[in-house]
Amino acid sequence: MKIRPVLIAAAGLGLALVFACCAGHDWASPGEVLRAIGGDNSLESRLLVTWRLPRALAAALVGALLGLSGAIFQGVFRNPLAEPYLLGSSGGAAIGATVALLAPIPMPSGLSLAVFSFAGAWGATWLVLAAASVGTRLDTSGLLLAGVAVAAVLGAARSFLMLALSDDATNLQVALSWTLGGIQTPGPTGLAVLAAITAAMVVLALTLSRGLDLTTLGDEAARSGGMAPERFSRIAILIAAATVAAAVAWGGLVAFVGLIAPHVARWLAGGSHARLLPTSACVGAIIVAVCDGLARSVLPPAEIPLGLITALAGGPFFLLLLRRRGRQMV
Amino acid sequence: MGLMLRRTFLTVAAALAAPSLAETRIEETDALGRVVRLPGPPRRIVTIFSSNAEIVAALGLADRVVGVDAFTRYPQELAEKPKVGGRLGFSIDAIVAVRPDLVILTPARQAAQQLLDPLDRLGIPAMTLLARSVAETLFNIRLVGRVTGETARGELVASALQERIDRLPRLARRPSVALVAGVVGNGLVIVARPGTYTTDALTLAGARLALEPVTPQVSQEALVAADPDLLLFAGSQDGLDALLRQPGWEILRAAREKRVVAVSRAEFLIPGPRTVDGVEKLALRLEELFQR
Repeated sequence: MKIRPVLIAAAGLGLALVFACCAGHDWASPGEVLRAIGGDNSLESRLLVTWRLPRALAAALVGALLGLSGAIFQGVFRNPLAEPYLLGSSGGAAIGATVALLAPIPMPSGLSLAVFSFAGAWGATWLVLAAASVGTRLDTSGLLLAGVAVAAVLGAARSFLMLALSDDATNLQVALSWTLGGIQTPGPTGLAVLAAITAAMVVLALTLSRGLDLTTLGDEAARSGGMAPERFSRIAILIAAATVAAAVAWGGLVAFVGLIAPHVARWLAGGSHARLLPTSACVGAIIVAVCDGLARSVLPPAEIPLGLITALAGGPFFLLLLRRRGRQMV
Repeated sequence: MGLMLRRTFLTVAAALAAPSLAETRIEETDALGRVVRLPGPPRRIVTIFSSNAEIVAALGLADRVVGVDAFTRYPQELAEKPKVGGRLGFSIDAIVAVRPDLVILTPARQAAQQLLDPLDRLGIPAMTLLARSVAETLFNIRLVGRVTGETARGELVASALQERIDRLPRLARRPSVALVAGVVGNGLVIVARPGTYTTDALTLAGARLALEPVTPQVSQEALVAADPDLLLFAGSQDGLDALLRQPGWEILRAAREKRVVAVSRAEFLIPGPRTVDGVEKLALRLEELFQR
């Protein structure tokens, strides 16, 4: 296994994290960040350690989850346009988050947001899988259409809930801003849970890598390789959906990352999923950590919703890469 | 003997003048049920939203304010303070940069969502205020007075406002009103809803709502059907004139009978001390239009 691309991605991630810790309304130097971590007790240092550092790490972990799930979805569907929110996860997560943010639920708000958006995202994908399954058969185009239909229904239901549940104290901006993406800054326990989930998902995804490689060759090749493609797809989709559900629980709906991270990773590491999956996770982590840093620092004191930055910065960057790649192929 | 008496007096006076730390420590419960603890009266206050800035200013504490949000435009001296947020949200970095010892905010827009957790982690006291009625605003004035160590001033300001409310003229019959706060692109009209601060202010002035919609956006048709005795417009006279020139408004009885009044947005939409000015003016206008 070629280790170089993974190392390049890991080095990039290190730099991205340093940038994310420095970026903010008032930029900190890397030295100031180190001093803060070293236990300097000034208010600015405490801000860096208790707020900015966990936020930068959470952003990277959310990005890793999105990059990972995007690579699985693109592998399962053998389609470079597949993205994590394809099978209703975004609509499901958004409706869960809307209920958590606007309805009076006897649960701490940070916890209810994570639990409800996770349940919504994963539940919606189950619904799509159930709707698209005929007996044991799993039809890809049926899945995509069911995804579109479920997303439309959930989107309408969410809009209605937003209008009906919002009042002066808990209003539309909070729910709307969540749907545009934004990292929830976790406490130490939350961060540990998110890191453990991310590590578990990377390990789970790696167990899918051979199956994803075989799927790329087509159903017949997969069968001759001793694999049941439909059963594998169902399992892979559920793992990818759980991965994206964890990402939305901590980061809201962050656009574009799950689509572009696997492409960038493929150019770096090639098509073998054993390398592609961790590289895609790393690339996703870099994109979200950097974009979250930009979201916090470009228009102080305002914070731009993260999803807007990932789409605004990621879109042109992706187009540029596509052009360069096109030129190399000519 | 005289010397001893003088010494005793001086000791008592010194004790009164310099209360112990335990006596100056401040502890209050805020609108979200959070206990706000301060080691002493705050000297560097950040206010989020105009209503809270106006309350602090009404207590004569504008010089203690070190940061506001971009929605705060009054009083002028506060509008010029460093900004810690606005339409696109609020920044904990910007708040830390002005080193406050108290942040006063209302859980509206994303303020509570974005700020309470980091402020708690940093140990900066934050107090939330809700204002769903004029009475709650008076309560907030007293509460901010206590939290800032200006209890007597808070009491004075709030009771002066209460006395003005108590002296308002009473009408034999409450006229029905619709308060238009804006018109959206698709022709829908934003009106005051029941259970809101604005509606409470209208009720204190002697009016009642002509229509009580579930959502704040209603069609012109619903407004015509509600047939208010008086149409109020939150905005300038020019804005009201422009609105009435739009097609369809002449159908409204209140418009035909020229019972249309522009009220100040600041007085009816910002839950601060200035609302009482607005209530007084509207009460006199209602008396003029419907009592005589």
